Order: sequence, then C-alpha cells, then structure tokens
Amino acid sequence: MGEGIKWSPYLEKMREQMDQLKLSEIKEWSGYDLTPAREFKTAQVQGGFKAFHAEKIEKIGVGSFYFNKEIHHGFCTIIPDEDYDLPMFVSQWEEGEKEIRFLVDIMPTVDSLIDEEYRKRYLESVQPLWEKYASLPGICPEESDAIRSLCSIVYTAAKVPIDKEGLRLAALAPHTEYLKSYLNFLQEAYSIKDDTRRKEVKRKRGVIRDVLRKRFSGEIVCDSVSEALESNLQEQMVAILF
Amino acid sequence: MARLGWNDMVDFAKVICDEYKLFEGIELVPLETYEGMDTKPAWEFKAPMASGFYKPYLIKGSDKIEKITIGELHYMGRAKYCALNMTATDDYDLPIFACEFDETAPRVGVTTDFMPTVDIAVHEDYLKKYYSQIAGLWRKYRTIPGFTKEGRCLVQRRYGPWPWARETLSPFSLDGRVEEKEDRKKVMEAVVAYARVWLDLLEKAEPINDPDYKQEMLKRKKTMQKYYRDLDPGGEVMKKIFGEGKHHLFVSLVF
Repeated sequence: MGEGIKWSPYLEKMREQMDQLKLSEIKEWSGYDLTPAREFKTAQVQGGFKAFHAEKIEKIGVGSFYFNKEIHHGFCTIIPDEDYDLPMFVSQWEEGEKEIRFLVDIMPTVDSLIDEEYRKRYLESVQPLWEKYASLPGICPEESDAIRSLCSIVYTAAKVPIDKEGLRLAALAPHTEYLKSYLNFLQEAYSIKDDTRRKEVKRKRGVIRDVLRKRFSGEIVCDSVSEALESNLQEQMVAILF
Repeated sequence: MARLGWNDMVDFAKVICDEYKLFEGIELVPLETYEGMDTKPAWEFKAPMASGFYKPYLIKGSDKIEKITIGELHYMGRAKYCALNMTATDDYDLPIFACEFDETAPRVGVTTDFMPTVDIAVHEDYLKKYYSQIAGLWRKYRTIPGFTKEGRCLVQRRYGPWPWARETLSPFSLDGRVEEKEDRKKVMEAVVAYARVWLDLLEKAEPINDPDYKQEMLKRKKTMQKYYRDLDPGGEVMKKIFGEGKHHLFVSLVF
C-alpha cells in the first residue's frame, strides 16, 4: 500500500508561497521546544513541521507527515498578529491512495455577518475561488460540526475521489490559490485602533484556536494517527499550528 | 428531470399543518398587529398576477413567540413561493427557524435552517444547546438528490450570489435545488423534522439574563431581519405586484 503513489507536493507548493515573506523560525512556543518536530521518524510516522514569524503575523505553522506510508497529512496555518483583524488561514490535507480529504479557509476573526466591510474585503474577494472550486469532484461540507462552525462563507472542503492522477494536483489548487489571496491581504492590513474591536478580535481568535487545538486529535487527524504520533510530538504539532 | 404540473406541486401549508400536523397540541392564535402594522391584508391577498396568504400567529399562553408565519404566494399559476418562519421574542436567544420553499415545474429551491442569533463560532455552548438535535437530521437529509448531486454535496451553495444571505445560515442549513416529485416530498419531511426540533427547543427555552449577551444577540437578530427585508431578491417583484406598503408587511412577516 502507498508504495506506488505519486504523492502531491503539498508542502513544497505551500512553502513556495510562504517564501515570499521574510520568515524567521520560532523554536520555542508556550514552553514547548519545537525543534524535535522539525524532522521526525518513528515506526509509523515520518515528516516535519516548522513554525515561523513574519511581519504582521504571530505564527505560521506548516508541515506534513506520512502515516504508515499510506496517508499523507499536510497542514498550513497563519495566525495574524493580535494587532490586526486579519482572518486566520487554515489548510488541512489528508491524502490517501483513493481519496483526498481537505479543508481550506480564511476564518473570520470578527462576526462577518455584522461587519459588512470586513466581509467584502476578506471573504467576498475570495468568492470567485469558492465558486471556481465548486465544480471539483467530491466537494462537500466540512464534516466536523465544531470546525464547520468556525468556517467562513467561502470555505472549500472536499473528499476528492482519485480516479485519475491529475485530480491530486486539482485538489491542491484551492490551497495555493486561497493562500495567495491571503498573502495579498497582508500588504494592506493595518493595525486595530479601536479597543472594542481589539477585544472582539481577541475573543474570536482565542475561541478558534482553542477549538482547533481540542479537535486536532480525533477530528483533524483520526484516532489511529493520533496514537501513532505519541503525545510529545502531537503537542509540538498543535503548538506549531494553532 | 421531472416537470410537475401545478396540481402536482406541494401544498406547502396543508402538508405542514394537516398531513404532518406540526402544530398539533399547540393552540395558534392570529397575530393581528406586528411591528405596528395591521396584518390582516396578508391573511389573504389577490393581485392580477399573484394571490396567496401569509398567516402570522402567536402561541396561546406563551410569551416566547414573536411570530410563527406560514404562507404561500402563487405567481401566475407557474410558481409557488412558500415560507415558514418561527421567531422567538427578544428575551430568548433561540435561532430563527426559517424555511423558504420556492417551487416551479422543474424544481424546488429550498432553504431550511436554524439561523443563529449569535456568532456561533464564538459561542460554543450555543452550538451544543441548539444544534445537537439537528446534527443527525442534517446528515440524513443532506443526501436528498439535489442537495447531493453526482457525488458532490452542495448544501450552503444555493445562496451563492448573496454573501449576506450565506452569512445568516448555520452550519446545519439544508439548502439546494431538488427536482423529482418524491424528493420534493422528502424535503417537506426534512422541513417538518427541523420545525419539530425548534418547537421542542422553544418549550425548554429560558429567557436571557445577561444584558451584554442580550445586546449582542439583538444586534445580530435585527441585522439579519434587516438584510432579508431590504435585500431579498424577490422583494423587487413583490413591490411591483403589491406596492411598497404591502411588500414591507409581507417580508416582515416572512422574516
């Protein structure tokens, strides 16, 4: 199983976009030494994760790993600096021999129903991509109720059946395209001036990160993968990503 | 693809009230005034191109209901624009039960949802409190052909052109376009299943005590109502048929 698969270049493509930024690596986060996660290999999993800092960004987490050489997991998250009301970028990738499951989103850090200007700037501008990828085979809602409740109106999720090899790259396209849009937001982002706004953003950012941390094991990665990662490595990954 | 004749289309109100007996055991009383407007012109209306009814009610003995409206607008013998809306009073944070069921010969365009009155991403408890009972129903009914098509599940895409409308939806909305007669009936089953859960939640609902939370909730609720009353794409047609005054009354009752 998995030996003959030409895995998608998830990490390479995401890093290509990231490399446009001036990145500085974060080696410790909230008391966690992140360096063991840079490159790891156990009986069942092999991969690497890194966290970075950049202008206007508190943390970028990016990495991938293979589970039993049968499943390829990839993740990329961007958490903006708390002085900015920028959305959070979340990309999650689970590639198997016959199916790719993924979620990519630009999660709003304010109530985008109330804040029309925010919605237009960060979500409606991505709507053409949301419409474009609606035709992707296997498009479907994000399965986790808790994670779906965090998602924006332009999230794209799918369980793409791989019945021809070109579909691996087709499934990867939403991730790189959403990421490009997100990186464009950075240039025009300005810091929050208003205290009420700051509190609103802080509250929502906190909840989003907390939900994603709590759902990593069991929902973002399945129980068997979670067990194979062992607790130390899993804690480091969560610290890197969220 | 099925094309249904007028007589084969769904009798929306009749199916809900008489076949499924949604309100059995509840005494509905007419809501005669809503937001200062006399509602009677909505109870039965007729214009050269359209006729129908939007009937608003309260529940006898309950102070929890702002309105329950059930209605149908029949357009030129070709289309039925049907709605069921159940909204709690401002003392309760219940989601707004909203169903829009627009039927023409080739298809039904439907949206059924519990629209959250707070930002569901921020309030995790709200998700557990109001959505745990419909999570299973959502998974069951999203497989109705039309909601799911050629292996793609397209719920939450019907409102594609209107981002403001998508913002009002919960992560459990059932919306899409359904064609076959049997599938249209299945949609009605889903509408009633969601509505029953909402009525059950209403019975258990407790008033909000936290003034800050209430303020936050009301801001969102009023924003949603304003969006639908001002921006609904069907609004312009209604204005042309019935005039500004009746249009405002009708959309206020429906949302």
